[in-house]
Amino acid sequence: MSDPLLEVRGLRTWFETPKGTVKAVDGVDLTLERGEILGLVGESGSGKSITGFSLLGLVDPPGRVVEGDIRFLGEDLRSASPRRLRDLRGNRIAMIFQDPMMTLNPVLRIGTQMIETVRAHAKVSKAEARAKARDALCQVGIPHPDERIDAYPHEFSGGMRQRVAIAIALLHKPDLIIADEPTTALDVTIQSQILSEVQTLTREMGMGLIWISHDLGVVGQLANKVAVMYAGRIVERGTVDEVLDTPRHPYTRGLIDSLPMENDRGQPLRQIPGNAPPPLGRPEGCPFRPRCARATEACLSEPAETEAQGRGWRCFHPLEEEAMA
Amino acid sequence: MTGTAPMIEVAGVTKHFRRKTDLAERLAMRVGLAEEPPTVHALDDVSLQIAEGEVVGLVGESGCGKSTLGRVVAGMLPVTSGQVARDGKDIAKLKGAEARAMRLATQIIFQDPMSSLNPRKKVVDIIGEAPRLHGLVKRSEVRAEVERLMGLVGLDPAMANRYPHQFSGGQRQRIGIARALAVNPDFLICDESIAALDVSIQAQVINLLVRLREELSLTLLFISHDLSVVRYISDRVVIMYLGRVVETAPTDRIFDAARHPYTQALLEEIPRIDRRGHRFSSVKGEIPSPVNPPQGCHFHPRCPFAMDRCRTERPALTQASPGHSVACHLDGGTGRPLSEAGVTTGDIPAID
Ligand SMILES: Nc1ncnc2c1ncn2[C@@H]1O[C@H](COP(=O)(O)OP(=O)(O)OP(=O)(O)O)[C@@H](O)[C@H]1O
Ligand SMILES: Nc1ncnc2c1ncn2[C@@H]1O[C@H](COP(=O)(O)OP(=O)(O)O)[C@@H](O)[C@H]1O
Ligand code: SF4
Ligand code: SF4
Ligand SMILES: [Mg+2]
Ligand SMILES: [Mg+2]
Repeated sequence: MSDPLLEVRGLRTWFETPKGTVKAVDGVDLTLERGEILGLVGESGSGKSITGFSLLGLVDPPGRVVEGDIRFLGEDLRSASPRRLRDLRGNRIAMIFQDPMMTLNPVLRIGTQMIETVRAHAKVSKAEARAKARDALCQVGIPHPDERIDAYPHEFSGGMRQRVAIAIALLHKPDLIIADEPTTALDVTIQSQILSEVQTLTREMGMGLIWISHDLGVVGQLANKVAVMYAGRIVERGTVDEVLDTPRHPYTRGLIDSLPMENDRGQPLRQIPGNAPPPLGRPEGCPFRPRCARATEACLSEPAETEAQGRGWRCFHPLEEEAMA
Repeated sequence: MTGTAPMIEVAGVTKHFRRKTDLAERLAMRVGLAEEPPTVHALDDVSLQIAEGEVVGLVGESGCGKSTLGRVVAGMLPVTSGQVARDGKDIAKLKGAEARAMRLATQIIFQDPMSSLNPRKKVVDIIGEAPRLHGLVKRSEVRAEVERLMGLVGLDPAMANRYPHQFSGGQRQRIGIARALAVNPDFLICDESIAALDVSIQAQVINLLVRLREELSLTLLFISHDLSVVRYISDRVVIMYLGRVVETAPTDRIFDAARHPYTQALLEEIPRIDRRGHRFSSVKGEIPSPVNPPQGCHFHPRCPFAMDRCRTERPALTQASPGHSVACHLDGGTGRPLSEAGVTTGDIPAID
């Protein structure tokens, strides 16, 4: 049996702060095969981005991966040298950040940055690199790429900047892309076009994709598998059909119920009460307890994962396995 | 107030941006070595009315000019031509106290609550600053006023002395809303104000906006790329494409009976959780740009129904039924019924 593209076991990434230890990621397991798309959803602060950063060795102090195993095609990334990680990030694994300015340099023209990327990968002339960069802009729906390639990032709208960052990631033709809420600000036709590009790359080139998003609609249409994060843990996972059609965790169910599409106009949206707990003030036991209508005394201790064949949840009182209305 | 005039009337507004040039470029241009930098046609003869008490959803592709229109309507950005009237008066001609009153009465709430809040200020100062500065409340009453506003948006007034980073994203957006409400506006422009929030928090903030709108009789311009949110919140929807309004109708009509091919393609691509393994479609070829918009109908390079006429003649915004206007040459200038074979962006052919 060949190694999975990515295998993560028991990942814990903690930040030592003066006020205490922030357990941003606290025991996360993930498996991704070639050609698979995993949707990682959850509240902000639940640890999605830090999970992504941890995989790439991009966690800055005071943060540190304190425990766990990260394997990329069998290679142990936790003990890989910084140089090896940099090499992988440049060639095999790409990250599209939530904030496109983490990819873009504000004082360089878009074209300059893209040409550099192309030439870092292939020995091509400047003119060839420019043509490739131009095509990549076209691919993500930047109009009139011949003119806009010479613009600076601030001359683009937020959505256009994000598309440029995506174009740069695609230029690497990586084996694995970790995309952190990349299309949140885009309208549906452009989003659809970008999703079409990444779908093609996963289907035809066997690229693996972790799509971090809070848009359940997109995840439902795009992904094969879903993992729902809450307070540093994956609280529910399974295939898209399993998780979205028969959610077992009350938080997943609450997320689905609060979608505007699932509500009648003129009625208040069904909302999950309260906020996600602050990282240093997580309640004892199940972290969802203060917001959960099903909570009982049992929930004062921490629920372990109930798991069978890749389908799992962490809850003492899971919802019945009945199809949603 | 004239009574009959709409609260906001945007009449034939055009807004151009020029890319800034550096010294080397300007020298090169002077000696004829470089061309003038391109002009961005962000808004191209846009007309729009917003009635008092209405919630208008403004939808369109990234870069089509939504934020520009929002800032023009708020008087934050001068127009290139055309005019914006507030309660029947051209806002460009307002002076002194009247101009100030107009600015206060219109408030924008932005997408990113963190970058629009000063991290070094306490919440009490962030929310209380404008009313104090403009003399809307006595210095001694600022604190009580801030506490009232915090309660109004569902924040615990006991947290007034904290800094923005000590709040969650949804709470920060509530701070942004409280700050906007502090100067008693009657018109709020929400520019992607909930896009950065989590689904569960989005629902809370949408519910808050709907409640505030009723309690304070607010008028809202709700800019969003999320059609499902716009459908839920708006009375009327305006669809923009490349600097122009292409369709406007009451919300139900947009979703049940859209007539512009672009609107129809948008509806087809709304993410829905009951649709799985969707094959996303891609737009082949180049998307036209606001730097060099196509002749005629701006949508023609992507439109599966484009005719010769569409390539040369701009379709005027034409009434298809009361309250429903469309800019498309089909069917006598009113577009096509949604019931006919669906459009998807995949049908949109390549151009070269
Ligand atoms: N200061 C500026 N200088 C040059 N061009 C600009 C400037 N501000 C905006 N533009 C251009 O004007 C057009 C419209 O921009 P605008 O910000 O209104 O788009 P938008 O519809 O709000 O997009 P998004 O959904 O991505 O926020 C874009 O092509 C943008 O690049
Ligand atoms: N530099 C840091 N120092 C301390 N805590 C941090 C730091 N960066 C992130 N965190 C915390 O880690 C948790 C997870 O963050 P993140 O992965 O960014 O969440 P998500 O992407 O799900 O919104 C949050 O509680 C956040 O406050
Ligand atoms: S374990 Fe208890 S509190 Fe946690 S989600 Fe399940 S029922 Fe709710
Ligand atoms: S005017 Fe022509 S090109 Fe434009 S939307 Fe209508 S049919 Fe299509
Ligand atoms: Mg994040
Ligand atoms: Mg905008």
